[in-house]
Amino acid sequence: MEEERMTLDEAFRKLDEVTKALEDEHISLEDSFQLYQKGMQLLKYCNDGIDTVEKKVLVINGEGKLDEF
Amino acid sequence: MKNVYTVGQVNAYIKNMFTQDFLLQSLMVKGEVSNCKYHSSGHIYFTLKDEKGTIPCVMFVRDRNGLQFRLQEGQQVVVTGRVDVFERDGKYQLYARQIVQDGAGFLYERFEQLKRSMREQGMFAPEYKRPIPGYIRTLGVVTAPTGAAVRDIINIATRRNPYIQIILYPAVVQGQQAAESIVNGIRALERLGVDVMIVGRGGGTIEDLWAFNEEIVAQAIFDCSVPVISAVGHETDTTIADFVADLRAPTPSAGAELAVFDYGQFRERMTELSAGLNARMRRKLDWERMRLQKAGVKLQYLSPAGRIRERRGELTKREERLKERMGRRLTAEQNRLRLAAERLRGLSPAEKLSQGFSHVADAAGHTVTDVRGVEPGDLLTIHVKDGRILAEVKKKEEWQWKKNG
Repeated sequence: MEEERMTLDEAFRKLDEVTKALEDEHISLEDSFQLYQKGMQLLKYCNDGIDTVEKKVLVINGEGKLDEF
Repeated sequence: MKNVYTVGQVNAYIKNMFTQDFLLQSLMVKGEVSNCKYHSSGHIYFTLKDEKGTIPCVMFVRDRNGLQFRLQEGQQVVVTGRVDVFERDGKYQLYARQIVQDGAGFLYERFEQLKRSMREQGMFAPEYKRPIPGYIRTLGVVTAPTGAAVRDIINIATRRNPYIQIILYPAVVQGQQAAESIVNGIRALERLGVDVMIVGRGGGTIEDLWAFNEEIVAQAIFDCSVPVISAVGHETDTTIADFVADLRAPTPSAGAELAVFDYGQFRERMTELSAGLNARMRRKLDWERMRLQKAGVKLQYLSPAGRIRERRGELTKREERLKERMGRRLTAEQNRLRLAAERLRGLSPAEKLSQGFSHVADAAGHTVTDVRGVEPGDLLTIHVKDGRILAEVKKKEEWQWKKNG
């Protein structure tokens, strides 16, 4: 999607905007489908933006390499 | 008498000895201020003393920027300068370049001085503060690898988001190497490219926390391209690092809370947003569907087939009305007929005869209705129910109708 480098904060803000825009009953059905699709993409973007693999705490050793803490 | 020297020669000789001594050219001496005189020329004369002795001191007006406070009797100070001989009086004295207060007062003085100078340089200015990103993946931590601070940060960070990558730079946070170690940590984590870093340590005395007041630490935080959260000591401890950091956390635990987003809340928000989006879309679809239905009905009504159906409907209605009216009319006529028949039946002569009345006709067969039509001797035919009687008129009498009243 166009917002490649967007932060999650921005994505959330856009999601709020999309949801609000969908509330307007004067928008066309086509536009509402587009908004909905965009909203779903944003949701996926937020979801994908969060890595859900548990990590060990790492520590930088004397040589500047990373070890498990 | 082998050699006789002049006073000037001796003093010059001694002065030369002092000048050639490396230590005496630059040293720091601590002691208590006494006999302090601010001369009208701007020079300051005083004596530095401790329990062992005294040394006369002078600070020339040209060195006065090395003194940032009003020198007073009894102050514990550290004087930086050189020891040299004043040949005229044949005495040595300490020529001060810089005077700072000693001990806690000394540290406080240095703190205030550094704070002032960094503020003047704009290093605390809000426009230099980098925003702390709301959703980070990697958190850098510069602190001691043991102790409560690192434990608190790891516990709170992973409790809020178990998927956060924490990278710790095990820094020395106290003593001679502390400042340099902290600076190295900030730079190492910046090179690694963490999203946010916490620089801090647990509580302690002003001396324990001192590294966070060092200029090189402040400069490293200022220069760091990664947003830095300072988390030094307790809520009440304030260091230069706090002023220059992008965000100040009152404690290491609070630092972790500020740096790491809460994963549960994130999921909740996602669910809410998703539900909101779906509900709104559904509502929109329902609404559109209803509109479609209405439009369909309207279209059907307006279509040729609809019009024909409508006309046919009207036609049927009229036909029914017609039939109904016709029916009603017929019934009415039938009733009239029946009534007439009834009435007619009442007038039938046969009927009258059966009730005991008779019909009287003269010889010509004309009905006799009054006495004037007959004369005695006329023959009459009397018709009764089951036959006729032939009779002769004997006598006729006219009724004399009496008027009532």
